[in-house]
Amino acid sequence: MSPGPEQHRARVARVISQVMGVPVGEVGDQASPRTLKAWDSMGHMNLMLALEEEFGVRFSDDRILQLLSVPAILAELDLVLPAGGSHA
Amino acid sequence: MEPVSYAQAQALSEAELAALPPLRIALLANIVINPLVAYLRYQAWRIGLHAQCHLGEYDNVLQEALGSNADLLGPQTDVVLVFLQLETLSWSLARAFAGLGVEQVRAERERIVDYVQNVLAGIRRQTPGMILWHGFERPLYPALGIADAQRPDGQTAVVEELNHAVREAVRRYQNAYWVDLDPCVARIGAPAFHDARYWHLGRAPYTLAALREIADETFKYVRALKGKSRKCLVLDCDNVLWGGTIGEDGLAGIRLGTTHPGSPYREFQQEVLNLHDRGVVLALCSKNNEADVWEVFDGHPDMVLRRRHIAAAQINWDDKATNLQRLARELNLGLDSLVLADDSDFETSLIRRLLPEVEVLQLPAGSAVEHRNLLAACGWFDTLTISAEDRERGAAYQAEAARTRLKVESGDLESYYRSLEMVPRIGLADPMTIPRIAQLTQKTNQFNLTTRRYGAEEIARLAASDAADVIWLRLSDRFGDAGIVGVCILRYGGGSATFDTFLLSCRVLGRGVEDAFLVQCLRRAAARGCAMAIGEYHPTAKNGQVVDFFPRRGFQPAAADAEGSRFTLALPAPGLREPDFFARIDSEIAS
Repeated sequence: MSPGPEQHRARVARVISQVMGVPVGEVGDQASPRTLKAWDSMGHMNLMLALEEEFGVRFSDDRILQLLSVPAILAELDLVLPAGGSHA
Repeated sequence: MEPVSYAQAQALSEAELAALPPLRIALLANIVINPLVAYLRYQAWRIGLHAQCHLGEYDNVLQEALGSNADLLGPQTDVVLVFLQLETLSWSLARAFAGLGVEQVRAERERIVDYVQNVLAGIRRQTPGMILWHGFERPLYPALGIADAQRPDGQTAVVEELNHAVREAVRRYQNAYWVDLDPCVARIGAPAFHDARYWHLGRAPYTLAALREIADETFKYVRALKGKSRKCLVLDCDNVLWGGTIGEDGLAGIRLGTTHPGSPYREFQQEVLNLHDRGVVLALCSKNNEADVWEVFDGHPDMVLRRRHIAAAQINWDDKATNLQRLARELNLGLDSLVLADDSDFETSLIRRLLPEVEVLQLPAGSAVEHRNLLAACGWFDTLTISAEDRERGAAYQAEAARTRLKVESGDLESYYRSLEMVPRIGLADPMTIPRIAQLTQKTNQFNLTTRRYGAEEIARLAASDAADVIWLRLSDRFGDAGIVGVCILRYGGGSATFDTFLLSCRVLGRGVEDAFLVQCLRRAAARGCAMAIGEYHPTAKNGQVVDFFPRRGFQPAAADAEGSRFTLALPAPGLREPDFFARIDSEIAS
């Protein structure tokens, strides 16, 4: 079975939960700075750093400012990860 | 061991940490450095502390040093981390240097040194805690190109001068240290250290890998401050000190020499010897026939380590957990003072499971070339200062062995003590002795009645205070001078003297010297007009041997609570006298 967006979703949710300090169940498929209080500008930078480490990727500075929700992050990961899986 | 990921470090739960003693860290920075907190918390957790980090506002360093943020710094602060990046402090020196004239450079330099001195003084007014001041990074691409390195007024030279001036300013304070960031940068490489994206997006110049490296460096200082540095390196032999198996390959068959494939082992041994020369105790723990191992030590021409460097050895076929416990007993050290260097996954995982207090340096089997760097990088033995006593510890252990032989010859204990011709010297702390006194409070675990840890700054304050005396004990005998080996801190108040601290280094235990020291301190208290002495005992995992120290010397139990017990003794106490087996006692405190 090839890893797909669903597997990324679980990993993204776990990283968000660890970085923001909320239970993974409270992260939600549509999580964003509007739904999580800890996802402020500092939280966003920490999250981007953690996601880059988790997936072994590097977002461009322009994209970093736009990855402000779980769907946006998943779409970006689909774009930057080589087809068929991730580095990590 | 795999480095911890940021998310893992961040995920340490408060609930798990809440039970641990706090380590209060304040961060003052002119850059954004928040993710560092996760690594600081993780490193603190590894040594059993709960890091409570207080972050200053971005680029408010001087204001905060002068007290603008009441929650940031205080008497309880343990560690203050200061990060001043040159780009933010002086854009012209950092990034527009080529256009500056000599006068402008000089003015900028003076302004920065002034600023640094004001920040230092301000922090010190608010807290006696340890200050770790991070130096300016060397320019990667100097402003004047290749000509820069040739010129005494080049950018690199100016940054070096600034660092020198800052280091001198820091050195004027006790318990303040200048941290060189350049080796941190070099170890992982500048492209892995700096992240231009987050610098532009959020004034956060460092990558996660950089912050992990900085936290590692920070905790070398914290471990030393908190008495968590390791004291003894326990070495496996086969494939660690030499390549191959002595029992099978024989003296001529093992790999050890100045050229490959023996040179990595020789370089490793040199690094081990360097630790020995800094005061680290060396021991062997090897599954071998003992005679085979000593044959290498005595007979191999390329051995760097010699028998005289080894304080204790367990060379047999028993399991290593048992042998490490034997070594700890023999050396009078706790298991948490030991680091085992071993190449066997089996042995290292056994020790991690059975003796988690022992730190393990896993040397990758099959890549001996890495061993030396791994040992040099670990930082577990780092101390804040390297005292004369540290440098002579090897000789002290040899002398101890000679004393043990004499003990056997002389039969009864009194005549043995007499034969040592011991001379205790007792005096009051002064600037020369304060660093060693602070070091002893940080490192001594066994003969330590209260285990209060003090930095040099606090010792200096106590020594200067009218309400306290900081008293040291030196000991010499016919085999040598052990240096300062005992500390007593008396606090005066309400007509009594309280033994805030009473400790003895484990190298002079079992020689009756504690009695001479106690009696001298009691005389001092009586001479200062005290009618009563109060002894305290705070139990820890390590100091069981002194549980009845005060009651056995005539002190009466007075109170006991969760923290410990208190004992009292009326002064003067004419019944207490120094033992008479000392050659003489040199006291500088008898008033």
